[in-house]
Amino acid sequence: MKKETLSIRTKETTARIRNTAIEAVRTKDIVKKAVRVYDEGKIGIGGAVGDVDERTLEQQATDNLQAGVLYPHSLETGKDHRDLNPSPMDAQTMVQHTENVLNTLRKDFPEFSFSEAITVRETTYTMQNSEGLDLSYHDAAFELGLILKEKKSANLFDGFVVFEGRNFDPKRFWEFNREYLAAYNNPVDFPKGDKIPVFTFQSPEAKRFLMRSLNGENYATNSSLFSGKMGEKLFHEKFTLEQNRNPKESRTAFFDNEGVRMSEDRVPLIENGVLKNVFTDKETAKRYNLNHTGAAGGAYDGVPSLSTAPLRIKTDSKDIKKALKGQPAIFVVVSSGGDFTADGTFAAPVQLAFLFDGEKLLGKLEEFTMRSTIYKMYGEDYIGTFNPDTIYIGDDLQIQGYYMDIKR
Amino acid sequence: MFDFPKHLYTDVRIEETSTTKISYKKSTLQEEKVRHNKGAFVRVFDGKRWYYASTTDVEKLQDTIDELASMATPDENIDDHPVVKAFETNQDTILQYEDTAIANVPVGKKRALMEEYLELLQAEAIVHHKSYYVDARTVKSIYSSKGANVTFDKQSCGIRMDLDIVFGDKKDQASVSRAAIHFEELAGLKDYFETEIDKNLAFVRDAEPVEAGTYPVLLSPLATGVFTHESFGHKSEADFMVGDETMAKEWKLGKEIGQKHLNILDDGNVHGSGYAPYDDEGTKSEKTSIITDGKLTGRLHSIQTAALMEEGPTGNARAVNFEFEPIVRMTTTYIDKGDKPLKDIVANVKNGVYIDTIKHGSGMSTFTIAPDRAYKIENGEITTPIKVSVVTGSVFKTLSLVDELSEEFELLSFVGGGCGKMEQFPLSVGFGGPYTLVRELKVE
Repeated sequence: MKKETLSIRTKETTARIRNTAIEAVRTKDIVKKAVRVYDEGKIGIGGAVGDVDERTLEQQATDNLQAGVLYPHSLETGKDHRDLNPSPMDAQTMVQHTENVLNTLRKDFPEFSFSEAITVRETTYTMQNSEGLDLSYHDAAFELGLILKEKKSANLFDGFVVFEGRNFDPKRFWEFNREYLAAYNNPVDFPKGDKIPVFTFQSPEAKRFLMRSLNGENYATNSSLFSGKMGEKLFHEKFTLEQNRNPKESRTAFFDNEGVRMSEDRVPLIENGVLKNVFTDKETAKRYNLNHTGAAGGAYDGVPSLSTAPLRIKTDSKDIKKALKGQPAIFVVVSSGGDFTADGTFAAPVQLAFLFDGEKLLGKLEEFTMRSTIYKMYGEDYIGTFNPDTIYIGDDLQIQGYYMDIKR
Repeated sequence: MFDFPKHLYTDVRIEETSTTKISYKKSTLQEEKVRHNKGAFVRVFDGKRWYYASTTDVEKLQDTIDELASMATPDENIDDHPVVKAFETNQDTILQYEDTAIANVPVGKKRALMEEYLELLQAEAIVHHKSYYVDARTVKSIYSSKGANVTFDKQSCGIRMDLDIVFGDKKDQASVSRAAIHFEELAGLKDYFETEIDKNLAFVRDAEPVEAGTYPVLLSPLATGVFTHESFGHKSEADFMVGDETMAKEWKLGKEIGQKHLNILDDGNVHGSGYAPYDDEGTKSEKTSIITDGKLTGRLHSIQTAALMEEGPTGNARAVNFEFEPIVRMTTTYIDKGDKPLKDIVANVKNGVYIDTIKHGSGMSTFTIAPDRAYKIENGEITTPIKVSVVTGSVFKTLSLVDELSEEFELLSFVGGGCGKMEQFPLSVGFGGPYTLVRELKVE
């Protein structure tokens, strides 16, 4: 019988904020552990929240073998330990940063109130097995997530101030956020035209739609919009979408839930607009004769299976201002509630957006609706994916630009 | 049980959860998972700041309490603090599901039931499906330095089948599910599942793109529930109002915000997804009338917001699990039923949209509903299925546009998903109501 162990330890300290003041301090130290056993092509799993004895979990896993869940795949081997942040910010420094940020917000931006949380979170993820696999990933980040509310507004909230990164540079944070909050206070007219360049952080709706369409099972069973189109050019020639497990870029473990690592931690799914791969775990790759991309997901104490994968668009462009050629653009900060229909048609209300010249946020726009399709957004209407220096909301930030139909 | 530190307010919430998950891809068993976990959340308050800790080391809770207390500044007058004064000291045990605990049903019986329903997924157009059975029973115990000692349980189970449906170039996903409290309630549902599967197949086969515009929109009890939750429910959560003069003025009790037939309630005593006879601070749950006859008459509170706004507690401080502090959340929130038959409401709509099922919703200044199954209403009849990305309306105006409420009424529980409020997702909530006709909403 072969054996595999997993553990995820999350330590965090959070300052809970209400009305631009610390209301509470919360600490967490949670361990989740699982043991998998493999015998005669079957898998059994035991798991628990808490520091439960490994022998207890192994017994659970052995008992679970009788369920008869099949796992006819070989186990991974090899050692790889990566520590992306060996000296994480300590709780005291986090609280000090929090006090400083809140002091400045209270003093310089009294027209707003800010609530929610600032956190320092540290995660250690390990996986070992009896065949010699020994993986470890440690990372930590400073996460500032404040909801912004105009004191004169009757909305629940009006926007966000956010940052997420391994290190925090207060100077850059304030350079960007002073500009952002000044623009918030400067209502401006809408740019002319019905089709306007729009820039967004990676759209969660588009990501969800691509995730579903590039899932190997969906592709192979003909339920993906892209089924049967392997090798075809679907999008703009500079559009490249990867399954990206590089922790520096995607802040995710460099191995999947089967312990699989890929060369350079990435696999192109769409390369220069052409469909090259769909993401798969071992079972999906074998069953449907697809390339294996190491995309097994699932709960820490669940059977590895295909669900989602860390998708990231490759940065393909440098200068937003140059790409705009003097055209005014829109920068979307909050768009909540929109979606794609199954055929790839997109519509979304935009609750907070700014007039944007490619470098700076110039003023706040009224609410509107944007419309497109998945093929237009990343095809004929695609402007590019950028790493702008002037927008400081996290490590290795990306924004995408596309022309959108706008309805005010 | 605990040695609570002097001159501080302290409470402890212990959660013990038993869960089962049995999942399939097509007819192949993917997982049979039975778990039993325990964790606790501790709060200490010194009158100025709260100190929280979550832990799985339940045997050493006294150490956690002492550690938090060492960070706080004791206050001799802590008992006179308005927030501390407002905490209830209930002593009660409500273990309704101890004798019928779902963990006592053999796993084999749960598998057999799930496999019986998998037989229904034979249609050629269902090219793939993932299905699961889930159940959970949680026992919560809440103890406070003021003397609260409350233990209660909550139980749920459900079946969900996620379908990939393909008719030529027409492709979509759909899901059918049913939630219950006792395992026996999940038996005998073949007719229900068959009907829902057939509706989804017909929808994918026949749905046409919608012509974007503003329409009268008829909402099913499910869509009414999402509409109520997103367009208004979150606005009734008092933590958004504390220390905010504009919000307090905008949502002043007595303000008229809907027509006379509109009544909205929140009730933690309703058995189902939102059931919480006590909240996570040990406050007894109330049936709160948030809107009565179109006027704002109440809001949802934790002890802190109730004390700060000098209103009565409602038992709405809830946490998503033992890792988080309780914050103001809904329980089961619904529009009360009207007095008109559904057929009469539909008969009066010439050109509208009917939303039957939904994918998700959200609510800021604009609330949104992303429908799953939607249909045209033409000359008083529900007709062609239509593909709709999103339906939107103004949070501030839409409640006054609720023109009709049906006498048909349904409260719903759910399998998977739930309400998200910042970091705490998904919290199990219930909602529903009558069929609701809204005069106009934007349909994209």
